[in-house]
Amino acid sequence: MFTQWKKRHWFTVLLLTLCSSASYGQLNIFACEPEWAALTRSLAGNDAKVYSATTAQQDPHHIQARPSLIAKVRRADLLVCTGAELEVGWLPLLLRKSGNAKIQPGQVGYFMATDHVSLLEKPGVLDRSLGDIHAAGNPHVHLDPYRIQQVAVALASSLMDVDPSNQQTYQENLQAFTLEWSKAISQWEKQAKRLRSKRIVVNHNNWVYLERWLGLERLAVLESRPGIAPSSSHLGEVLNQLAVNPADMILHADYQNDKPALWLSKRTGLRVVSLPFSPTKEEGLVDWFNRLLQPLLSAAS
Amino acid sequence: MNLEGLDFSILGPAFIAGLMVLATHVPLGREVLKRGIIFIDLAIAQIAGLGVIAAYRFGWDMHGWEVQVAALGTALIAAVVLNALEKRYQAYQEALIGAIFVLAATASILLLAGNPHGGESLKDLLVGQILWITWEQLLPIAFVTGVISLVLLSWRQRLDHLGFYLIFAVAITSSVQLVGVYLVFASLIIPALGSMASRKPLLLAYFIGSVGYGLGLVLSSLLDLPSGAMIVWCIAIVAMLSILATKHKQPFACK
Repeated sequence: MFTQWKKRHWFTVLLLTLCSSASYGQLNIFACEPEWAALTRSLAGNDAKVYSATTAQQDPHHIQARPSLIAKVRRADLLVCTGAELEVGWLPLLLRKSGNAKIQPGQVGYFMATDHVSLLEKPGVLDRSLGDIHAAGNPHVHLDPYRIQQVAVALASSLMDVDPSNQQTYQENLQAFTLEWSKAISQWEKQAKRLRSKRIVVNHNNWVYLERWLGLERLAVLESRPGIAPSSSHLGEVLNQLAVNPADMILHADYQNDKPALWLSKRTGLRVVSLPFSPTKEEGLVDWFNRLLQPLLSAAS
Repeated sequence: MNLEGLDFSILGPAFIAGLMVLATHVPLGREVLKRGIIFIDLAIAQIAGLGVIAAYRFGWDMHGWEVQVAALGTALIAAVVLNALEKRYQAYQEALIGAIFVLAATASILLLAGNPHGGESLKDLLVGQILWITWEQLLPIAFVTGVISLVLLSWRQRLDHLGFYLIFAVAITSSVQLVGVYLVFASLIIPALGSMASRKPLLLAYFIGSVGYGLGLVLSSLLDLPSGAMIVWCIAIVAMLSILATKHKQPFACK
């Protein structure tokens, strides 16, 4: 029994050594959310191995610990996350457990997207009683294409710091991305003109960057405080408010529970527009933004 | 198949933590089973969480050891109350424990109505994630485990009702934060259940528990699934297999 176990054990060790030597020389990048994985893939090119800790269907606030996650962080040369406390519930634990010195806070391999853009909704007073408010500001910056461009520039320079031998490649990739992205932005803005000053109700206050970019007007938020399920008195208030000042649609992130949005829709007859909050695996940022805007455009026509 | 998570430095601390939890929980679990108060660990864990939330709610900004003091303090109070209840209403003990569990759980919801940060700390307290454990964290746990084992070994026979509840509260408060409530429940009940028919029940229970933890950790890395839930299933499967095995081998001595 023991010798059998030992045999199997050695076989695993052998396999492990083979696996680790095969990936030598490649840049390993650990992204916390699929949007940063997508951006990193377009900047780092095909040579880098990019892994996303969460998928588009997951809430990035929470994550279940799996052994492979720790193994991937341990091997990472660069960490690309949102920051601004979005991953505060699990990233510090993961970093501590990994013991990887290259990607600890303050190192070149530690990249937080929100460190490189200005944030909206920075609270004047921090009070726990106000709900799930992020002290640094609203972290969901990936819904503003201009901020994505700023993050791309900063990320390219981080890639150059981490892997100086391929500086040329990263520079070229950044130029290609910028060209494609700015073309896409002007096309989206042309299409989205008819969305300007549309009035919306949102389920959770995570659309602020999209609202600013497209000129949407947010009338109400269903959650009375971020992260807390709506109370009946708050829902009543929203209903009264909408009776006086009607909205055009209800926005809802497709990874979140759609019950509150459907409840409101049943009572007001407003259309629920369900939007993909993050790109799917392997999806590029341009494709994802197209998919994000499509339901909005068809709801507004 | 996913081999990259199969690394001793990742799985090792989690496995050792599991063994420490088993060291105290297997004997406690046999006691719990004997007394027929299965849900007491859920109730105590929930009350420890409630203590932390109440402390937050009334304005303490706590870190580290203060949280532990709040959790342990309320858990100990709960132990005293449960002991008093057992003396007075023995016939309804299990039902009372159930009611206390629901009351503690819903009290935290009411206290947290305006505070999702408290919700995060409650979740941390209840769903502690076994994989995040590092070697340094094992030291205080080793200390607690050592003290509890010592008490259990030397005064097991003389431990009265109150003593049992107090020891139980200390053990649960520390283990729940380490591995989460599901694993604590599984470590308490399943090995004790799986070893009932055996001639050497304590030994078999330890065996079931450790094989379950080891197998669960290895499978969770091979299949890339969350470790805590996988371990619970492995402990249960090993326990079932051992029940089948002891049934047939009953006449023979341990092989």
